[in-house]
Amino acid sequence: MNREEAEQYLYYAMTIGEQLLISGAEVGRVEDTIRRICMAYGASRVDVFSITSSIVTTMYGEGFGICTQTRRVPGMANNLGRLDDLNQLSRYICAERPKPEVIKERLAAIDRAPGYSFQMQILIYAVISGSFSVFFGGDFQDMIASALIGIALKLLEAFIKKSSINPLITVFLCCGAGGILSNFTVLIGLGHHADLISIGNIMLLIPGIAFTNSLRDMFSGDTITGLIRCMESILLALVVGMGFAAANLLF
Amino acid sequence: MREIIQLIVSFTGSLGFAALFNIHGKKVWFAALGGGLSWAVYLAVEFITPSPYLCGFWSTVAITLYAECMARIHKTPVTVFLVSATIPLIPGAALYRTMNWMMMREWEKFQKDGIYTILFAASMAAGMTLTTIVFRMAWQRMYRHRRM
Repeated sequence: MNREEAEQYLYYAMTIGEQLLISGAEVGRVEDTIRRICMAYGASRVDVFSITSSIVTTMYGEGFGICTQTRRVPGMANNLGRLDDLNQLSRYICAERPKPEVIKERLAAIDRAPGYSFQMQILIYAVISGSFSVFFGGDFQDMIASALIGIALKLLEAFIKKSSINPLITVFLCCGAGGILSNFTVLIGLGHHADLISIGNIMLLIPGIAFTNSLRDMFSGDTITGLIRCMESILLALVVGMGFAAANLLF
Repeated sequence: MREIIQLIVSFTGSLGFAALFNIHGKKVWFAALGGGLSWAVYLAVEFITPSPYLCGFWSTVAITLYAECMARIHKTPVTVFLVSATIPLIPGAALYRTMNWMMMREWEKFQKDGIYTILFAASMAAGMTLTTIVFRMAWQRMYRHRRM
């Protein structure tokens, strides 16, 4: 493997790592994947360091010397379907060691893979909101009200996201709207308990998973990543609380 | 009756989150089943001990085992099943309540719910980390024995 090829393979290994991180993989998995791919192509030593927003990799090998690349990773979301696809791809790369063109093609295919349609996503929001409203003790009418507000929130979120302002403001506006709507449904007699209706919507917006995972990161030794994610989720939870509190002040 | 309804909605709620996280095909149903399982274990442990932290801990132990097994059967990362299965346990409501008390300047309740949220999330994280480590050690051992 000459210098040029090494740079190219490292580039694709970093792209896969970056995409894994964006799709919600743990930092350990990202580092491990990049290391395995580089090793498969004949590096003698690979050092990978990754936190939520950045990846640094240096690989050493005879024939190409020392190669280093860094990536700045923007944001993250839970897209576990994509995570699964990327994991399959990295297994395939380690086993078959394909040419860069093949990797490029497979990555493009993963990018093109269809997610759930917009109608389906609306249904998903309704199901989650309704389920958790009942889970915390709401009755049948609360479930209906919460599901309807869930649908409204999805539409609102899609509308706000189009104008792509700060994500915290998107969450704040969604929470404010959710709080107002839940009080409104109680006023017109559709639901019974405003707090139990909104808890269904809150589950969609509150970063409970991120908070739990951040503690898990710290427990498994990725302290910096854990701290970053912990702060992010507390900040987001604060915004969610502010949104609903602001809406409740109106009633 | 309350328990049966909670089990059903914890299944549908996890199903919703599994789909929200873009899991496709058969795996969605297994992920949602994990969500139902987590709440079932939680309710079962609740009979033995009144401590919610212990319930959370044992429940995450059970679903981490479930997720590790499912991940090996379906050849996917463990996260895929683990994240969707923990949904009913996630202290999202408690986290919200904490922030809400802070907004209302009810410091005593803020402290109580805040400590509950952190401890519950920590007991879940402990359950996951411990089970993962023990399971992987046991798995490697078994694998090595079979090879020999």
